[in-house]
Amino acid sequence: MPNRRSFIAGMLAAGLVPKPTWADVGSPAFLSAGMKQDGAYVLCGLSAEGQITFELKLPARGHAAAGHPKVAQAVAFARRPGTYAIVLDCVSGRQIARLSAPPGRHFYGHGVFSADGDLLFTTENEFEAARGRIGVWNAQNDYERIGEFSSGGIGPHDIKLMPDERSLVVANGGIETHPETGRTKLNLPTMQSNLSYVSLDGELLEQLRLDRDQQKNSIRHLAVSGQGAVAFAMQWQGDLAADLPLLGLHQARSGHLELAEQASVRRLNGYLGSVAVAKDGLHVAATSPRAGVVQNFAGVALVGETSLTDVCGVAATNAGFIVTSGQGLVRHLSGQTKSHNIAWDNHLIAI
Amino acid sequence: MRYIFLATLVFAASPLAAEDPDIGAIVERHVLPGYATLAAESANLADSAEADCTAGNPTLTDAYHSAFDDWISVSHLRFGPSERDDRAFALAFWPDPRGSTPKALMGLIRDEDPVVLNPSDFATVSVAARGFYALEFLLFDPQFSDAGNPPYLCNLIKAVTADIAANAEAISDGWQTEYAALMLNPGNDTYRTQTEAAQQFFTALSTGLEFTSQTRLARPMGSFDRPRPNRAEARRSERSLRHVSLSLEGTRALAMMISNGNPEVGTAFEAALQRAADLDDPVFAGVAEPRGRFRVEALQQSIDGIRDLLALEVGPDLGIAAGFNSLDGD
Repeated sequence: MPNRRSFIAGMLAAGLVPKPTWADVGSPAFLSAGMKQDGAYVLCGLSAEGQITFELKLPARGHAAAGHPKVAQAVAFARRPGTYAIVLDCVSGRQIARLSAPPGRHFYGHGVFSADGDLLFTTENEFEAARGRIGVWNAQNDYERIGEFSSGGIGPHDIKLMPDERSLVVANGGIETHPETGRTKLNLPTMQSNLSYVSLDGELLEQLRLDRDQQKNSIRHLAVSGQGAVAFAMQWQGDLAADLPLLGLHQARSGHLELAEQASVRRLNGYLGSVAVAKDGLHVAATSPRAGVVQNFAGVALVGETSLTDVCGVAATNAGFIVTSGQGLVRHLSGQTKSHNIAWDNHLIAI
Repeated sequence: MRYIFLATLVFAASPLAAEDPDIGAIVERHVLPGYATLAAESANLADSAEADCTAGNPTLTDAYHSAFDDWISVSHLRFGPSERDDRAFALAFWPDPRGSTPKALMGLIRDEDPVVLNPSDFATVSVAARGFYALEFLLFDPQFSDAGNPPYLCNLIKAVTADIAANAEAISDGWQTEYAALMLNPGNDTYRTQTEAAQQFFTALSTGLEFTSQTRLARPMGSFDRPRPNRAEARRSERSLRHVSLSLEGTRALAMMISNGNPEVGTAFEAALQRAADLDDPVFAGVAEPRGRFRVEALQQSIDGIRDLLALEVGPDLGIAAGFNSLDGD
């Protein structure tokens, strides 16, 4: 029996079977979960202009999604502490596979494919031990679970593939929770968040921890530029009068770290919901549903701010950024807005 | 006389719906006295330990219960001075899912760590080994109260109680000398408007109720297949249910002020407090049996109901919208 590492490495080298592509589902540019007016939960494809290209039912509230890089398959993750993720064929709307978290684990709502689409990585909580895990699933074989490794911390939330296509970056939020107490934060006085870079077979390559005065800053969401700069958005767990930043930019290897002072706890009500990096690799947008604002940055310098009630999802477009809100809006920050009868959930995922 | 009476009636009948909550009254009648009482009772606790540090001595036990009561009654007011230098966490390290408190205390005792001899040194010890929950282990858990080396245990109890008193005093002092003014005179960096001060109180109220429902009750409930009565808060000194009732009373006082006496809110609290009283189960031992569990669950639901009611009836008046994403917290 091959060991885990060689097995995963073998999977990476394996070929790909042709299946319906994204063009077959109206070439959506984005995926977003949402809630319809009748309370039904859905996963939608959105065009670059903000029109709905497909709408598929979900059994419970979603959170983020992951689009397969080649074929028209999307994985919709349950909201934390859910234990399911559903792989959908976006042409037929058919469920291709259902991922169930192994016993003693739940998902955090985020996941990412390898560049070739053969593997899916999911952030998970091994809750009795309060250890963060990354689950590995074989997209080539009915999304069978083929392994797992440490996330490098407690409470892994967002996960992204690095542009080298050989490593992942994981936001370990640092907060211990247990499904018996829902989303209750069990370890705030001792929490320690980090940003971990791990290879696709689970080797911890590099780790960033913030200074002691930021001990209660929880790194939750990530966006990675084509050049490998990682923008990370945080959620502050302490007093809201703290004068601390909620957004950072990190460069692996050089270890260069910059914090956006104007993405402050006070201004943003202690909470950033999503972050995106523009295709130019320089501009960053971050949303705060609690403050109802989108902030735009050049690097970490604030260059603009837009008010929008309950804004959360954000993604880069060819021209800039597009955001979604809990009130149904899909808005290009340049101005064009579409309105839908769907409350858009936390994340807008670019395909 | 008759005319004055009529004039009063007319005034009372005029619309008052969106009246702002009286921040001054909340600060002066709820926050300041609450933290002042905690500081006084904590000082008394430290004095009692100084006079006789024997676990089981009735004066010390009474002082422990009294000061702990006062902490629970203000434990929803978690902002400003309580959060500076982790003071509130140093008073109250709970929940403790990894058993950090007994581990940290065992370490101090095993090493006979001299850190207990100096208050400023002890203030650098992990928050897990400090505060009321650590003191409870020392006074009520035989593995500590009957442990060898009584002189060291005595010094440890004195250090923990003195540290509680210092933290309670620092919070109370912070409110009186600085923080109350920030809330009473908005237009500063912390509170730009009176609405922001009201929103802070609303958040504290909602978070306090959530903690009682989702932690104080949910921890011992565990799951149906696996109830966890040993996780009940402060069960060694049989305070678990008492904390639920005290925190409901504390949050009720704040809720009535911030809702301008909304009668629906009052009724909802009354019902939850009655359910708590009817439980008659000081450490939630009943969660191990389906019937007992359902009763705790009913209490939990009535507390969640208060939160929903506040979000619906009071939040919007304070400009707090119940947003799909803003409330999600992820």
